[in-house]
Amino acid sequence: MTNDTTKPEVPARRIFLRNIGRGAACAGAVAGAGLIAGAHGADTPATPASDGQSFPAPGYDWNAHRWAFAVDATKCIGCLRCVEACKKENHVALDAHHFRTWVERYAYLEGEEKPHVDSMPDPVNIQAAGSEEKYRFANRYKDAKVEKAFFVPKLCNHCTHPACVQVCPTGATYKTRDGFVLIDHKYCIGCQYCVQACPYGARFFNHAKGVTDKCTWCYHRVTRGLMPACVEVCPVQARMFGDLNDPKSVVSLFIRNNRVQVLKPETGNAPNVYYIGLDKEVV
Amino acid sequence: MPKHISRLLLLMAAFVVAALAAKAFFTVNSFYRYGHYRADSVPEIAAMAPSFQTPKACASCHAPRLAEWTGGHHKTVICEVCHGALPGHPEALKATIPTDTVSLCTQCHEKMPGRPDSIRQVDVSQHHPSGQCISCHNPHAPKIGTAIPVTPAALHAAASNAAACAACHGANGMATSDIWPNLAGQNAAYIARSLGAFKTGGRVEPTMSPMAQAVADEDVPALAAYFAAMSCRTPTGKHGSGNAAAGKTLAKQCAACHGENGRPVNSAWPRLSGQNAAYLVSAITAFRDGQRKNPFMSEAARGLGDNDIANLASYFAGLPCGIETH
Repeated sequence: MTNDTTKPEVPARRIFLRNIGRGAACAGAVAGAGLIAGAHGADTPATPASDGQSFPAPGYDWNAHRWAFAVDATKCIGCLRCVEACKKENHVALDAHHFRTWVERYAYLEGEEKPHVDSMPDPVNIQAAGSEEKYRFANRYKDAKVEKAFFVPKLCNHCTHPACVQVCPTGATYKTRDGFVLIDHKYCIGCQYCVQACPYGARFFNHAKGVTDKCTWCYHRVTRGLMPACVEVCPVQARMFGDLNDPKSVVSLFIRNNRVQVLKPETGNAPNVYYIGLDKEVV
Repeated sequence: MPKHISRLLLLMAAFVVAALAAKAFFTVNSFYRYGHYRADSVPEIAAMAPSFQTPKACASCHAPRLAEWTGGHHKTVICEVCHGALPGHPEALKATIPTDTVSLCTQCHEKMPGRPDSIRQVDVSQHHPSGQCISCHNPHAPKIGTAIPVTPAALHAAASNAAACAACHGANGMATSDIWPNLAGQNAAYIARSLGAFKTGGRVEPTMSPMAQAVADEDVPALAAYFAAMSCRTPTGKHGSGNAAAGKTLAKQCAACHGENGRPVNSAWPRLSGQNAAYLVSAITAFRDGQRKNPFMSEAARGLGDNDIANLASYFAGLPCGIETH
């Protein structure tokens, strides 16, 4: 870059550099004009959006909502209908190792301090289901002396301060105004920093697409006025979904009427999935 | 300023401008519109088509079934939990009718540590070691027997309502013609369901449909209970034109739902024993030819010839009707 000043005696190089300089200046002028035009364009976006009206779907204004999820673990029966529904709804790989939502079973056996924890990838449960495309908890504690057992549904917490968004180098994952953490699969480069950053293990790598994947709280359903698929199919209403801006929504009432807790509050992510019925061992 | 320094500064400035230009060129317009992400990706994600349609989508065609489901204990289990997600139904995708109900039902009802007591749980090996759950339980309203209690006053009122039925079904519940069904001793849950189907158009019959539509919703359970409580006459002599002995062999495949003696355990299914042969022939034929629709019956009747149907009808019509339903 500094060659033209240190070695002026080589005319060919000087001419070459001069030409580069001129080219850059021209490009700069064009780009400068472009920048001004671009900045102007950003003020008045082509798509109907900004504030009010409908964005990102017809008849849905993302400024008007603040969604949250609630789980009543005391109701969960571990039927795994939510897990199967999620896979179908979101076209997740049908195997026992990639889940947008999953259910954990905690079983405390008599005389033991730590619980036994298992979930769908456990070989015993895969065997009970018959294939990796179906999901079922094996009745493995049928004859054991169980002091206490319960099921805990888990999914992306759509945190208020998501660590995954902070570490994304390309802006492929972000927080929407209505409270969702989403992934732009066109901009995701598959580096998986976010998978490492998530304290809840909610993200996984989608090998088919080469991108990171996770629960969207069924954004495509919610923006159409439907409930997420897992909430829709839950036979015992252990999963709930609602708008915190609406004081009468099922989640607002759930938070108001119960002593709720969130998973790993100490990480500072401020998760938005509220639980009741968890034990101290559940993280 | 020395010439070489000013050239250097100019060159650096040119590079900065070029870099900014490249950034402006390569970054899509919607990036930074709402933050450090591509704003257009939000509607892209929102545009994905939902798979699960919810029961609202089922209501337009399956109203009777939906009404039955809404009144039963399974009302929190949506259609697509058992029948699979139904995007594009009915044009592009047929609903699955689960056949292995033991494995299906035990997903929720298998007795398992960790399941809250509020959900009904069974140990299949003790509850009913063999056979399908739907032999006894109606999956859309699984509690056995009528779930709706009937007061004596309502039953009394039903007696006067029933006068309108007498012209065809007889004052004592025994039909005035062989082509109409006897109602005396029929299972109440089945009568109620059939009336509901005629009311909503799930079943269509020129005479019966308007009669059923005249019955108020709240009168249906009492009317059903009224006829169910009547005693039927055990038939004598020959019934229909079929061969009852041949029908008996065929009837084995009906036993899972309609019971060994034509008397089903699950009162949601109709009792066939002592029913009029001509009515049975028309009913089974209607299932076979698709005029009446029921996934189990359509399947069961599919392979039957006219002779088979006549034989079956004669067999069931000749069985002692009995009044016990369960």
